[in-house]
Amino acid sequence: VSARDPDDLLRDGGGEIGDLYRRLPRYEPPRRLDRAVLNEAARAVHSGRPPRRQRWVVGIGSAAGLVLAAGIAWRIGHEPIGQNETMSPAAAPRVVPVQPITESARVRHDESAQRAAAPADADAARAQESRAAGAPGDSAAVDQVKSAPRKVRAASKLAPAEVPKAPPPAPAAARPPEAFPSTASEPEAKDLEKSEGFSAGMAAPAQDHAASADKRAATTNLRGRASPTVPSGSVELQRDMQLAPSEWLGRIRNLMQEGRRQQATESLRLFVRTHPDRHVPDDLRELLE
Amino acid sequence: MGSDKTDEELMLAYAGGDLLAFEMLYKRHRGTLYRFLLRTLRHRADADELFQDTWSRLIAARERYRPDAKFTTFLLQIAHNLVVDRFRRLKPQASEEETEAVFRQLDAPESEQPERVLTEFEQRRRLQLALEELPEEQRVAFLLRIESGLGLDEIGEITGAGRETVKSRLRYALARIRARFVS
Repeated sequence: VSARDPDDLLRDGGGEIGDLYRRLPRYEPPRRLDRAVLNEAARAVHSGRPPRRQRWVVGIGSAAGLVLAAGIAWRIGHEPIGQNETMSPAAAPRVVPVQPITESARVRHDESAQRAAAPADADAARAQESRAAGAPGDSAAVDQVKSAPRKVRAASKLAPAEVPKAPPPAPAAARPPEAFPSTASEPEAKDLEKSEGFSAGMAAPAQDHAASADKRAATTNLRGRASPTVPSGSVELQRDMQLAPSEWLGRIRNLMQEGRRQQATESLRLFVRTHPDRHVPDDLRELLE
Repeated sequence: MGSDKTDEELMLAYAGGDLLAFEMLYKRHRGTLYRFLLRTLRHRADADELFQDTWSRLIAARERYRPDAKFTTFLLQIAHNLVVDRFRRLKPQASEEETEAVFRQLDAPESEQPERVLTEFEQRRRLQLALEELPEEQRVAFLLRIESGLGLDEIGEITGAGRETVKSRLRYALARIRARFVS
């Protein structure tokens, strides 16, 4: 061995030392080691754990799926509560248009109310009272939306559309009855409560006609209290209906004297509908012509 | 399959799940790695153990492999780290004084050195003994150069030493081997 410089080792093959080294025994790993290593490599491949890039794709896919599911859940959570329940277009709007009160509607309502079952009248009365209160909360509005179809059906049954034959609305009902009071503004609703003891006038007649001899008037008053179809603008007509027949006729005469002929006509027509067996005095008959 | 592919391509294929690529890779490097370990450790049981450990770590680290690193370097770096850990638990290496004494003797004029004609068997035996007597760092550098065919830079990358340091270790290793032949 004559090599002295490491560059001799760095030559191809390692020079003289390299040649000598390659004549040494060429040891090989035993077979058992080969089997162990190859088995371990196979287990690693088939262990089911995907390579990093595949795991990255799986992670992104999982995250996208979660975002999609969360979006759908969020969207469903923000659907209006009554939307799934009220599929008909008629139930969609919260404001239900109301027909102006007419004498014929009032009479028909009274007749049908007599035949109707008491629970239905009680429900309607509660609904009417809640609307008369004028300040429903959000939960009441939601309940109203939920029960809108039922109320619409009830209203259509209790107040059949006889608008073509009905006279124009009374001047006293100056406030247009486009909507239920529940949808009116809060000050307006409070005004309605205060106006000539509207709410009190609904309850007080029950005590008045307890002493009255006219049972029919009392019955009419009770029915009128439960009527869900009386618009808030017909305050005077509503009040007229609560009077005894003789007092009602006197009221009509007072309207005539005050020059409120249209209101007197409306009130008299309502009187005739309410008391068909009552004789209309001759001095008032001209109003019906 | 894969006989025309580079080591790097085969390693990437195995990282992607190709078991045949690993078998090809293993076939290429099993002998070199085993001899490196056996001659570095000089103990068959230790060589067997570290041989299996080296491949196990390679399998576990297959996803971290990048083709910008030469596969041989990657494999031998794993093996070298295991060897270093093993040597740390073994006896200390030869002292600097002993190394310098051998080096001074090798630097003497050839006329002052005994000339002996050795048989081939004797030459192989002496080389074997010389390798076993080399300090760890010199033996590793020598084996990485002669057994694995690596250059100075690659040896330095594996062992964590500079280019000149590697060259110095090779010089000392060569001197010790020559000393064994002239003694």
